Amino acid sequence: MAKIIKHQFFFSHPQETVWEYLTKSELMAQWLMKNDFQPIVGVDFQFRTGPIPSLNFDGIFYCKVLEVVPFKKLSYSWKSGPGEGKITLDSVVIWKLEPKDKGTEVFLEHRGFAKKENLDFYNGLLHGWVEKFQNIDKLLNAAHHGNTNS
Amino acid sequence: MLMLLSEDSLTINSLADNFDMSRPAVSKHIKILDNAGFISIQDIGRERYCTLKKDGFEELQAWLSYFDQFWGAKLKKLENLLNNKLPN
Repeated sequence: MAKIIKHQFFFSHPQETVWEYLTKSELMAQWLMKNDFQPIVGVDFQFRTGPIPSLNFDGIFYCKVLEVVPFKKLSYSWKSGPGEGKITLDSVVIWKLEPKDKGTEVFLEHRGFAKKENLDFYNGLLHGWVEKFQNIDKLLNAAHHGNTNS
Repeated sequence: MLMLLSEDSLTINSLADNFDMSRPAVSKHIKILDNAGFISIQDIGRERYCTLKKDGFEELQAWLSYFDQFWGAKLKKLENLLNNKLPN
């Protein structure tokens, strides 16, 4: 299971045009979702869409602009929850634009998903890393105390 | 630990018996799992019971599937919008 979502898409339109559609609120609303976005770092904004009860989602994505490199990179945090200020999804969306012959290559990354780091860590454990750490621990204990953990 | 808990709730001591790790080390792992929302801990009698919260995993996977499809569709929509509104 991939834990970072990555998409790559080529648009046969100039970089400046694609950037506009990623950063102007009225244009974004036409393909993404209704929003009050502004391409200013630190500004909070929202996307509004229909709720999805099975995902504990009330229909509002709470976002904050993290990075803006005009025409090249755009990043914002993307959080949601069941409502009443509770947040169960905490992720980050990163857009990168590259000019190409006859158009623009767009790279999208959607990462974070809250506990992803913890999930990775425990996936690692389930695959045997814990044995390696225990072996190191045993060796260290033997060296220091001359006995192993009980 | 998560695999063991997926079969049954266990006390921290029972969990620890399955690993060649000190009890404080097991507690550390349990704390991380608890903070991450994957397990819940209840004190019953003199024991601490750990129970797997299936919700945490399933919600995460559900969001991943949802967004993967969501972005694919949105990018297509953007493409159509650009192609219909503007000359290439």
